Amino acid sequence: MTSTMSPSTKLATLPEETSCYHCGEPVPAGVELGVLIGGELRPMCCPGCRAVAELISSTGLDSFYRQRTAYSQRPPEPESATPAQYLVYDDPALAASFTDTGPDGQVTARLLLGGISCAACTWLIEQTMARLPGVSLALVNLNQSRLDIRFDPAQLSLSRIFSRLDALGYQVRPFQASAQRRQVGEESRQELRRLAVSALGMMQVGMFAIALHAGDIQGIESQYQGLLRWVSLLVASFVVLFSSRVFFTTAWRHLRQGALVMDLPVALAIGLAWLASVWATITGSGQVYFDSVVMFTFFLLLGRFFERRMRIRYNLAWFDAEGALPDAVTARRGGEWVTVPRVQLLAGDTVLVKAGDTVPVDAEVTSGKSAVREDSFNGEPLPRDVAVGDTIYASTVNIEAALEGRVLGSYRDSRLAALQRSVEQGEVEKPRLARVADRIASWFVGAILLVTTATALVWSQIAPEQAFWISLAVLVISCPCALALATPAALTSAASALRGSGVIVRGENALEALSRATHLLFDKTGTLTDGSLAIARVQLLADLPRERVLALAAAMQQYSSHPVARAFRDIDPGSGLTQVQYQVGAGLEARDGEHTLRMGSEQFCRRHAPSLRPPPGEPFYWIALCKDELPLAWIGLDDRARPEAAAVIAAATAAGLKVELLTGDSSAQGEVLARGLGISQVMTGLTPEQKMARVRELQATGAVVAMVGDGLNDAPVLSLADASFAVTGATDLARAQADFVLAEGDLHNVTSTLRKARQCRRVIKQNLAWALGYNACGIPLAALGFIPPWAAAIGMSLSSLLVVANSLRLNRGKRSR
Amino acid sequence: MDSLYLLIPIALLFCGIAIKLLLWAIDSGQYDDLDKEAWRILADDEPPAPGPGPAAAGKSPGPEQPE
Repeated sequence: MTSTMSPSTKLATLPEETSCYHCGEPVPAGVELGVLIGGELRPMCCPGCRAVAELISSTGLDSFYRQRTAYSQRPPEPESATPAQYLVYDDPALAASFTDTGPDGQVTARLLLGGISCAACTWLIEQTMARLPGVSLALVNLNQSRLDIRFDPAQLSLSRIFSRLDALGYQVRPFQASAQRRQVGEESRQELRRLAVSALGMMQVGMFAIALHAGDIQGIESQYQGLLRWVSLLVASFVVLFSSRVFFTTAWRHLRQGALVMDLPVALAIGLAWLASVWATITGSGQVYFDSVVMFTFFLLLGRFFERRMRIRYNLAWFDAEGALPDAVTARRGGEWVTVPRVQLLAGDTVLVKAGDTVPVDAEVTSGKSAVREDSFNGEPLPRDVAVGDTIYASTVNIEAALEGRVLGSYRDSRLAALQRSVEQGEVEKPRLARVADRIASWFVGAILLVTTATALVWSQIAPEQAFWISLAVLVISCPCALALATPAALTSAASALRGSGVIVRGENALEALSRATHLLFDKTGTLTDGSLAIARVQLLADLPRERVLALAAAMQQYSSHPVARAFRDIDPGSGLTQVQYQVGAGLEARDGEHTLRMGSEQFCRRHAPSLRPPPGEPFYWIALCKDELPLAWIGLDDRARPEAAAVIAAATAAGLKVELLTGDSSAQGEVLARGLGISQVMTGLTPEQKMARVRELQATGAVVAMVGDGLNDAPVLSLADASFAVTGATDLARAQADFVLAEGDLHNVTSTLRKARQCRRVIKQNLAWALGYNACGIPLAALGFIPPWAAAIGMSLSSLLVVANSLRLNRGKRSR
Repeated sequence: MDSLYLLIPIALLFCGIAIKLLLWAIDSGQYDDLDKEAWRILADDEPPAPGPGPAAAGKSPGPEQPE
């Protein structure tokens, strides 16, 4: 396997025999699926993975599996993805929003892909698409997870492209270009243009500078010196005009608002050195510093380019709640069910939501009975039963049976949209902590300007002919390059170290807040617990052994898509059951020889087995198993705590943090869990608003709050906290709106991020101390005239290098682990 | 040394052409995705041949696999 470019080592660490060759998830007991890839039979965990792997291998693209550096995402069950749902994109009105038709009749479509886990995916997609008849170009942009595909509409339809991508195991939807995205792209190009010009300019001017310096030592005819100076002037002026202009405009923009920013001394140093050199060239006297001007520009731009690249890398996996909703919905039009684009739905329309489908809009149920999984809202693994008159919400999943509903309003009126707005609101309200460097910087910049002016004034009295060069040396040596780099270099370095250990850093500034955190708040469901049910207790009611009872239960549950079924996934079901039937809102029924097995709620089982006792008292989710009239067992399911939770909480407490548990669950389970994990402060039954109120209350007392939550329901409170973590599976990164995303769902990363943040803060302090100390020594010497401008330029570069090197230490410790 | 008067302008001309080319490449989007290109060179370039199927599949798990 190629070991190039492997930020994720996941691929190598999982044992090969038990995990699915395609998605890497463990193969459940009793599943025997396989696909012949590369001459070997590879295990598959589900029909979905098998279908994708077969497609990849049958098209001769199986070298994908050797090239990839991370496992693919597990595709949805094949039957839930019907190609028919994509037919709606053939509607020209809907297609117009993401396609362009060229003059030659070729259509270019922009599609957003979900599930691209590494660069090999782009190759797979491009190769597969290029083989479709009629496709003339297929290009994947890995940064934006976007596919641009050009095809001949006479030979190929959009729906075909969609279903092909779906068959490969990627989620696909139209790419809606937003103004913000365009702007980010345009800015990146601008920055690259400036960088490119300054790099080429630096080489040219550098060559001339070497000749000039050599000339200074060996002697040079003044005509050649003049020539070299004039061409340097030409190139440097172009670079200053093209690349350095951004420093001048930024400095000016802030100056007009009365703010002193780092760009001001940078612009002054570049501007003055350039002017002085121009003057020296024209009069044929003094020294020229064109090389310093251009080099300075290049290094500053380079630093900014890298910083920016890191920053936007994970921002582009943006949060778009609406994008997760299906575009095609089934609605009743004139007495018939037709597939229509979701955006065309109006309040009062009747929609049909099949079992397994995502609810497209907020609606009131008019017919049918089912249960909806709302974990995207509240993290609860158990679905909510709904019947006629209840409201179902957009983005929840209907899991049991088809429902008809009356549409309550458009997306903008939905609960999902409201949640999205509250996330944005929380983002705005978040108390902005001025960065240490920014606070120091504006004072520092003011001080530099004062000192430089004073130096110029004093020297103009003592030796007027030297005053300019000495002042310039002060300006260059004090150039806050090291100071400007001190914080971002450390933050970027810490962020990249954290990414290596499975933490995606969205807001680097939160590292600083985290290092000062006083309170660590946890959500319960899905955060401290892993959000899926597990068997906690089995109470036997008949003389059947526990193993046999569980095998029977597993045999029945393997036919169910209810979240309860996951608890039985690892049990070998044996065989022999027939006619497994799903009773909506009640449970399962199956034939075992001449007996009838039933499994489900208390009412459902008691109807057939009246002797069933009420479930035991513990706060579990109880389901009963009966054979004809005979109750067999009560099985108690529980959302269990993550195994590492207790250790993480102990470590956080030892690090001096006050740990609290805030949960929306009002049952006694929260208290029990908290006591078991060693959390003393527990608040149960909180609404999201109450959680936000608690965070505000703590912040009002001066506390710095770090919050750990999961997914969408916690998003508002997470965005309010000073530093936030989202625990999530690698699959829905886009949902997790937090400063730190724990992609592998390992809580240990909370404490390791905390340690890294504190280490980062120490490094920032060292950097600032060095930068300030260097200036404190250098500026007086320069002001006294001991340092010529060229030495000042070298000193400035060296101090910046030292700051960068010190920051890189943050990355090194992690890598050697 | 008079040749400098000819050679330096030529050097500048080349530099100008290089800048022009680079700016053109940036504007035409060739540098938009710096992550993929680094990897692309390592990918096998399997030709989108009319009938790939088993032939390509049989060939690929070959010498490139060190394990």
